[in-house]
Amino acid sequence: MAALARISRRLLPRTLSTTLPGRAFTAEAAQSAQNTTKPDPIIRESADRVKWDYRGQRRLIPLGQWAPKIAVDAYVAPNVVLAGQVVVYDGASVWNGAVLRGDLNKISVGFCSNVQERCVIHAAWSSPTAFKKNTTRALLVKYIAFLTGLPAETSIERYVTIGACSLLRSCTIEPECIIGQNSILMEGSLVETHAILEAGSVVPPGRRIPSGELWAGNPAKFVRTLTHEETLEIPKLAVAINDLSQSYFSEFLPYSTVYLEVEKMKKSLGISI
Amino acid sequence: MGTLGRAVYTLGNWIRVTGQAMDRLGFQLQGSYYIQEQISRHRTLMNIFQKSPVVDKDAFIAPSASVIGDVQVGRGSSIWYGSVLRGDVNSISVGSGTNIQDNSLVHVAKSNLSGKVLPTIIGDNVTIGHSAVIHGCTIEDEAFVGMGATLLDGVVVEKHAMVAAGSLVRQNTRVPVGEVWAGNPAKFLRKLTDEEIAFISQSATNYINLAKVHAAENAKSLDEIELEKMLRKKFADVTRSMIR
Repeated sequence: MAALARISRRLLPRTLSTTLPGRAFTAEAAQSAQNTTKPDPIIRESADRVKWDYRGQRRLIPLGQWAPKIAVDAYVAPNVVLAGQVVVYDGASVWNGAVLRGDLNKISVGFCSNVQERCVIHAAWSSPTAFKKNTTRALLVKYIAFLTGLPAETSIERYVTIGACSLLRSCTIEPECIIGQNSILMEGSLVETHAILEAGSVVPPGRRIPSGELWAGNPAKFVRTLTHEETLEIPKLAVAINDLSQSYFSEFLPYSTVYLEVEKMKKSLGISI
Repeated sequence: MGTLGRAVYTLGNWIRVTGQAMDRLGFQLQGSYYIQEQISRHRTLMNIFQKSPVVDKDAFIAPSASVIGDVQVGRGSSIWYGSVLRGDVNSISVGSGTNIQDNSLVHVAKSNLSGKVLPTIIGDNVTIGHSAVIHGCTIEDEAFVGMGATLLDGVVVEKHAMVAAGSLVRQNTRVPVGEVWAGNPAKFLRKLTDEEIAFISQSATNYINLAKVHAAENAKSLDEIELEKMLRKKFADVTRSMIR
């Protein structure tokens, strides 16, 4: 009730200010009116918040003693964020915009697998920071682990293709699978060998996708079994993407030339190198 | 710097200049494939028109996130990697203790088919899962939006409600208190148990703590990063020798 009142109070002044034209003083007046009616947690800005960091976002973010590891011939796009316990094995590729957050548990991308654009892979449980052991979350994950016998870490085995914009959370994907684009795999799901998930499928928590079958839909339902030829195509797709990733890999030399820009900038701003 | 030091420095400079000249030669050979690298102009907090984001000092905003325009982020909130909060045509206000997870998009609607102007208001202790798309909605305190969910214009998610993963909540739907809505289009699935409601607030708290860890790590300077890398290598060597 109180929350609703708060929200309606926030809504009204805002609609007022949006209908006013962009003239400086009227906008100011509306702003101050809005500010006086807002009773709630005042946002305290910090003077030294960095608005622009020329370094951009780091690709590998170690948390505590866990540092992400990338194999020497794995291609990880510069856009990607690997945080915490993430291991990317040989021949694997992680494409642009993906976020692999191994901060709560381990994530591993197996041999010759690929995680395509804008995927988010996360693993639940076991936060190193304050986490009460008898919460429902812990119970839920332990229950799932007990049921499925699967750990809460996300492990992607060899020759797996994970389509673009998929979301994986604490799932196990056995060797040689294809996960379609925009699919969502929730906690505790298991995708067995040679399974294919169609694009847009949502796999509910704890669901097992049996071996050699094609599943689709939200929630994922059985469609048909795969023929032997289709099963043979799965590792071929992974290898093809591996080949593609090698040409991307060679585009990105170990050291870029951005440091020249930085030096120019420092010189022009009078900062000593 | 003594003479020897200066000599070594000059030698180093010559080697660098030679290297840069060879780099340029290689580019000339590559011809039209030459890409001149420039520093990324990506800005985490970006003004647009005259609106600028107002972010609390305790909030964690990942460097690869984009917070643009009229956005307010309260204390303890976290905006994770790759998310985009575009307050360009209207305002977004994110309460305290809320987490907006990786690769999500929060946008506002200036005008839509029904003609309403909708700011996005996200309350306190809300969990918005990975890759969610929130467009002109009101999400009240302690709600849970599952990953990959798409919430269209005018949706109101009430307190303690849950939008399941992958659902598409159509325009102007109201998700009542304590209910789980799922599917495409989103329909009522079941009611949340008390345990699950407690879990939602617990998860928000966990994320506040997790955000602090990430914030500390992302704020490190180059020196600190290099030092830690070296320490980690030394530690690995020590453990390797211990195992042997």
